[in-house]
Parts: sequence; C-alpha cells; structure tokens
Amino acid sequence: MSRLSGRVVIVTGAAQGIGAVYAKGLAAEGARVSLCDLDEPQATVEAIKRGGGEALGMAADVTSPEAVEAFVRRTESSFGTVHVLVNNAAMFGSVTPKPYYEITSQEWDRMMAVNTRGVFECIKAVAPIMRRQHYGKIINISSGTTFKGTPNLLHYVASKGAVIAMTRVLAREMGDDGIAVNCIAPGLTMSEAVKGRGHSFNAQGNIASRCFKREQVPEDLVGTMVFLASADSDFMTGQTIVVDGGSALN
Amino acid sequence: MSRLSGRTAIVTGAAQGLGAVFAKALAAEGANVAVCDVMDPAPTVAAIHSAGGSALGRVTDVTDPAAVGALVAEVERRWGGIQILVNNASISGETQPKPFLEISSQEFDRMMQVNVRGFFECAKAVVPIMRRQNYGKIINLASGNFFSATPEFLHYVASKGAVIAMTRAMARACGDWGIAVNSLAPGLTMSERVSAKFAKIPERTQGIVKSQAFKRLEQPEDLVGTLIFLASADSDFITGQMLMVDGGAGMH
Repeated sequence: MSRLSGRVVIVTGAAQGIGAVYAKGLAAEGARVSLCDLDEPQATVEAIKRGGGEALGMAADVTSPEAVEAFVRRTESSFGTVHVLVNNAAMFGSVTPKPYYEITSQEWDRMMAVNTRGVFECIKAVAPIMRRQHYGKIINISSGTTFKGTPNLLHYVASKGAVIAMTRVLAREMGDDGIAVNCIAPGLTMSEAVKGRGHSFNAQGNIASRCFKREQVPEDLVGTMVFLASADSDFMTGQTIVVDGGSALN
Repeated sequence: MSRLSGRTAIVTGAAQGLGAVFAKALAAEGANVAVCDVMDPAPTVAAIHSAGGSALGRVTDVTDPAAVGALVAEVERRWGGIQILVNNASISGETQPKPFLEISSQEFDRMMQVNVRGFFECAKAVVPIMRRQNYGKIINLASGNFFSATPEFLHYVASKGAVIAMTRAMARACGDWGIAVNSLAPGLTMSERVSAKFAKIPERTQGIVKSQAFKRLEQPEDLVGTLIFLASADSDFITGQMLMVDGGAGMH
C-alpha cells in the first residue's frame, strides 16, 4: 500500500534487527527511507531496493553530533527534506543482564550516551528542517521494561525511562512548530540478537505475563510504526504506545 | 481505502457526534457497520449508504442486555461475524457541569449504568462470537478527563476511570481468545453537542486549548486515524492499552 508516499523517513540503527524491519515496513508503504547505523546499513538498503523501494544508507554514530549532522544533510540533499525521524538506534541485544551493583560507571555512561543522548542529538539535527515545513513526526523507542521495572538491566531501563520523559517535554516544546513526538514501548522482541539469548532476558516469563501468550517478533511492531509515521496520528503527541501483547497495561 | 474490508463493526451511540463520525469512517474503510443508538440511527445509515458503504441501523439501549443480545444476533445473521466493537455510547454531551456536592445519587447511578455497565453489556454480547473466531477488537471510549479530572464532572470522570480499568481486565480475560481490548481517550472534542456547550464557557475552552501542545480545537475527525488503527490488523499485538489523542494536553 502507499500510506506513506511522498514521506521521507530516517531510521537510525537500521542495519539489522528491529530497525531493519521498521525500515522495510516503512519503505513498503511508499516512504523514501534514509538509514544509518554504526556500519553503513547496506544489506537493508539493498533489500529495500530489490523490493522496489527507495533507500539510502550511511554510517553514523548517533552519539556524534557531527556524524548525525552529516547524515541529516545527506538525507536532505538526496531526498529534499525529512518528515519522520525514527530514533531506533540503541544498545540492548549485546547487554549482559546483571545486578545493579555490578554495573560500572563506564557501562552506565555508555548506555546513556547511545540510548538517551543519541536520541537528543538526532532530534536536534532534524528539528530545523521540520520547523521550516511546519510538520514533523518524531518516533522514539522506549521499552516495556520501563513500566515493569524489569530487574538486572538498570542502566538500560533507566535510559528508556528517560526517552519517555524526553518524548513528553519535546512534544510540548515542538508543538507550536507542528511537530508530533510520540514513543513506542515494545515488549521483549525476538530480533536476531535476542533470539539466541532469550533465556538471559526471561523470554518464557515474558510470554507467560502477556494477554497474547506468544513470542513477540519485529513484524508485530510495524503496524504501530506506520501509524505513528502517517497522517493518521497527527493529533496524537507526547504519548507512549506499549506494544507487547498485553504484558504492561498502560 | 479498504483496510477493513471483510470486517464487521458495531458502533454504539452512533446516531450523532463522535459515534456517527466513527461509523462513517469504518464504513469508508470497507467495514460493514451496525449503527446503534437510543436516538434514531437512520441518518447515519443513510449517509453511509449514499457514500456506497454497508450499514444497518437499530435503536438499542446499551443498558438493556436483551436489546443488546438481539442487536448482536441480527448483525451476526446479516454479515456472518463480528470483528470490531466500538463502545462509544456514553452520556456526557448533555450533562451539565455540576459541583460534586450537587450530584444526586440517581445521576451518579445513571452515569455508571450507561457509561460503564453499557460497555460491559455490549462486550459480553460480542465476546462469544469473537471467541469462536479467535479474533476480535474491542475499542472502549475513555477520556483525557481521567488525567485532567475536569472539575464539576465527578461522575463522568469516575465512569471513564472505570472504563480504563475495565479495558485492562477485559484484555486479560480475553487474551487467550485472540481478542484485543483497548481504550481510546479523546481530549475536549468539538462534536455538535460539546461545541454548543463549550461555546457558552469560552474561557474554559481556551484554557484547555492552551494546555495542548497543538493549540487548536480538537475535531471528531482527529480521532479517526487512531480508531481505524485500533480496528485494523496493524494493532493486533496491542491489548490492554489506552491511546490518548488530545493534541498533547495530557501525556500518558
């Protein structure tokens, strides 16, 4: 279908995992997608082009404002503007669950830099473009763990709680510029990185806690992503939508 | 477009206001729509037919389980299944703001009867059908009032808090049957009745608009995209949630 024709969408962290699935889902609805990751997300770009979609890819570390700025400038020069920013890049799959007292200061800072400051850097970079056109959709990714207080991932959960707070503040600050800021909070999702490590993340416990008692896959999130990227959600802002089969009831 | 082709929806309180807008929007996306209300649903049905859509109308009091049962049986006979229930019928538009201490016991009971038990009766009636299908979407209309606690509306606010709690409990009860239950919370929305009422208290209306991130009056059409989302397969893994569409007055 073509619910997003004419829209230019940035997706960070799009080389693999849920980000790659978002990118493909958005492109399938007619969006031109601009993708970044620590390594240039070539495989995702090629998959989209093979499916008849339009995509560009670039290496960019979201914790580097210069890299983010260069990526946004490249997006604007190739596609003309940016309508939607999907702040997906985050650390999770590689994280080892451990009690709070075993988390080092460096690990804490690194998690906050990527998951929280990275979101801030990307929003700052696209804001002038969205302000000029008096329209934009920013979609942040939090986590169901924020609502549940999931143990043994303190720095991760804290970073994702910060994302919800940022979503609310920025919705208020950017409202007069016609920019909607919302957030998706996924449950534990079986991306490639997580699949082999389901036991570490209490996959069985998660499934048992859901209303819909099955594994969550990245495709379960695409409908909500397309909704938030489209005009259908234009009067919704500052909100967090939990997509987790009914484990955390928000 | 046809995102809901092949689906059948019941919308309560659809003779006018938000319910009428919802019914027309569902039909425009290809759903068969049963338009119910205590008032005459014919105008909404006629509007859907003249746009080429599929609809039936039935006068139904949601507080009467026999009437609700008869409605549901008629819809199933006509179209074979029921995938979507929009629990929208509520008393609010005609309720005057009333200081807490002036609300009578009868007014309190009536509010709970329509706004809470009415939703319960309709859900009970459709769930056996949805369970047989192993699929259903129940959308309960809540309100941003739950967060802002609009003054002089105690019984209404309480009823919508109950709807949010009931949404969560129904989601847990129906999860094994493939039925998603969510609530949609509008902000202050300019349906005909609400516009007329709030035109008389412009300072209060302006105060609410100023509290929004998008500072303009909310229209019924602003809710349509989210309603269609909740009625469609796009939201299939979402259940027990409250989605607020109010231009960012409250943040949930």
